[in-house]
Amino acid sequence: MTQRDIGKPLFNVVLIIVSASVFVAASAFPNVNIPGDLSAAFFPQLLSALIFIFAIPCLIKDFQEWRTGDVTASSSSISLARAAGQWLFVILLLIAYVYAFERLGYMISTALFIFFCVVGLAVLSGTWGTLSIAGKSKALAGALVFAVVLAVAIFYVFTDLFKIPLPT
Amino acid sequence: MISGYLDGLGMVLQLSTLLAIAGGTLLGIVMGALPGLTSAMAIALLLPVTFGMPPVAGIGMLLGALCGAGASGSIPAVLLNIPGTPSSVATTFDGFPMAQKGEAGRALGLAIVASFFGGVASMVILSLLAPPIAEFALRFGPAEYFSLSIFGLVIIASVAGKSLLKGLIAGMIGFLISTVGTDPITGVGRFTFNELSLLTGVNLLPALIGLFAVSQVLKDTFEYDPNERLKESGHRIDIARPRFLETLKHWKAVVMGIISGSIVGPIPGAGGSIASLVAYDQTRRFSKTPEKFGTGHAPGIVSVESANNSLLGGALIPTLALGIPGEAATAVLLGGLMIQGITPGPMLFADQSGTVYGIFLAYLLANVFMLLIMCLGIKLFIRVLMVPRKQLLAAILVFCFIGVYGVDGDVFNLYLMLGFGVLGYFLNRYNFGTAPVILGLILGPIAESNLRRGLQSFEGDWTPFFTRPISVAFLIVAIGLLALTLWQNYRSNQQSTPAGDDSV
Repeated sequence: MTQRDIGKPLFNVVLIIVSASVFVAASAFPNVNIPGDLSAAFFPQLLSALIFIFAIPCLIKDFQEWRTGDVTASSSSISLARAAGQWLFVILLLIAYVYAFERLGYMISTALFIFFCVVGLAVLSGTWGTLSIAGKSKALAGALVFAVVLAVAIFYVFTDLFKIPLPT
Repeated sequence: MISGYLDGLGMVLQLSTLLAIAGGTLLGIVMGALPGLTSAMAIALLLPVTFGMPPVAGIGMLLGALCGAGASGSIPAVLLNIPGTPSSVATTFDGFPMAQKGEAGRALGLAIVASFFGGVASMVILSLLAPPIAEFALRFGPAEYFSLSIFGLVIIASVAGKSLLKGLIAGMIGFLISTVGTDPITGVGRFTFNELSLLTGVNLLPALIGLFAVSQVLKDTFEYDPNERLKESGHRIDIARPRFLETLKHWKAVVMGIISGSIVGPIPGAGGSIASLVAYDQTRRFSKTPEKFGTGHAPGIVSVESANNSLLGGALIPTLALGIPGEAATAVLLGGLMIQGITPGPMLFADQSGTVYGIFLAYLLANVFMLLIMCLGIKLFIRVLMVPRKQLLAAILVFCFIGVYGVDGDVFNLYLMLGFGVLGYFLNRYNFGTAPVILGLILGPIAESNLRRGLQSFEGDWTPFFTRPISVAFLIVAIGLLALTLWQNYRSNQQSTPAGDDSV
């Protein structure tokens, strides 16, 4: 028995929808007639059609597997909700990092990203709750020092050693 | 050939190049020692820093990372019974029992020297076989290049994922993404969404880093469990020094490893785990004392480790000579070569022989650095295993960001990298694999442009693609491989049909 994961058939559904959309979008490409040549839409349409066709048997198989899968089986020692929370947190933090990167500059945005990433994972993984007040203060200070030192070290490695300019 | 080597030697024997190779090897060793981090990820992370370097220094750095990661997978395998890389699985068979006997240092010493011998031998094989293959490939025209691209896509799709259909879908996703941008023949914009950064197509660097580094970090984040920290090994490693004489005493095992790695290496998708398992099995089969294998027997470690590193030289043969990589790490390396402005294939050997031989020599030097760094820093690399995971994940993500942003200062590429990271995460999670996507991205434009150029020169006639001998040979082999994979999947389905078996 394997773990039930609705994401598996859903991913195939996403592939089917996206490939159909790509096929339709490609049909709107202007047709430039060059003797012997294929149109600009040929490959996008061929590939999206093939992805669409191949994803259907995958969807059927994955859906059957999901229906017969074991609800209790789990490949991980941590709960799915906690794992998904950690995953989503990092994604959102990354988006915020990209947004802040040019606005706040490399140093501040990077130090903030590292700090929140380390502390956020500690909170979401449950270790934060087990710490005493002194332990939490120590962990916060440690994360802050780590964030600042790493941000500064990477800045000098990239700008001085590799001559790659970063926004300040 | 000699003038090529002399040119290459001139490129390699520069302080900056030597430092680049040593730095790449060091990073590869660190990444290979950390279970879960792959050599493909090490190369992807290093790609941005190779931008400003001369080609041989940049590629040398990437080869150093590959070489280092291949060798250092033995550290957690020996000390913790956890293979650092898939190819180190067989190292645990005898490495860990030897460590349990209190001889961890001896096991590591044997592994380091065997890796070195394997790497050096494979460099010799690479330099002997790649040039004639490239020379043969000079006869290729548009029809042959189109068929070769399709062949490359089919073989990696067949072996990269757990399912043939899903591997093919992943390859086609990459191919489809490669069509984004201005059509090179008609000038029509395809899926550019009025975004300037997409006019020239999808940048390979954010794709590589997203698919191989960010996706891996996202996976680690999903599975992050603070209670699953590695326990520090209590094994003695104070005698971890290179064991040349003892390794040479088991020369038959070394040779078996080199043969296995060199044969399996060029086979697309076969990978390090197969090479090392084949080497282990054959060494045990021909041994006078097969019963000692699995109990901490030196030839078991020596054969596996020499196979691991000789595999890389073999895998580089089709990558450099034909531009067709066999698995994820060489696919990322191929991307690195292209970012460096080097187009692998026969013309590379004809036009830039100095660079090619420089790459061969850089690979040789990477093995020397691997030996030196592993011997000098073995105790330090063991400490690497204990680095807290959340700090490591944050640091890797920052490296990914700075690497992608630093190249052209385009924030759009950061979003692109993030998008590829999420895509790669789901592709890996649902058994599609990410290596075929990169192959599709790289080979897609080659296939499309050659098909269309061919059709123009053949006045719209498709038959030359199926009648020219080399072209049709590639297509027949690709179809044969597809049929073989389907048949193997069918047989394994017949033998056992467990739920969750993904072989379609």
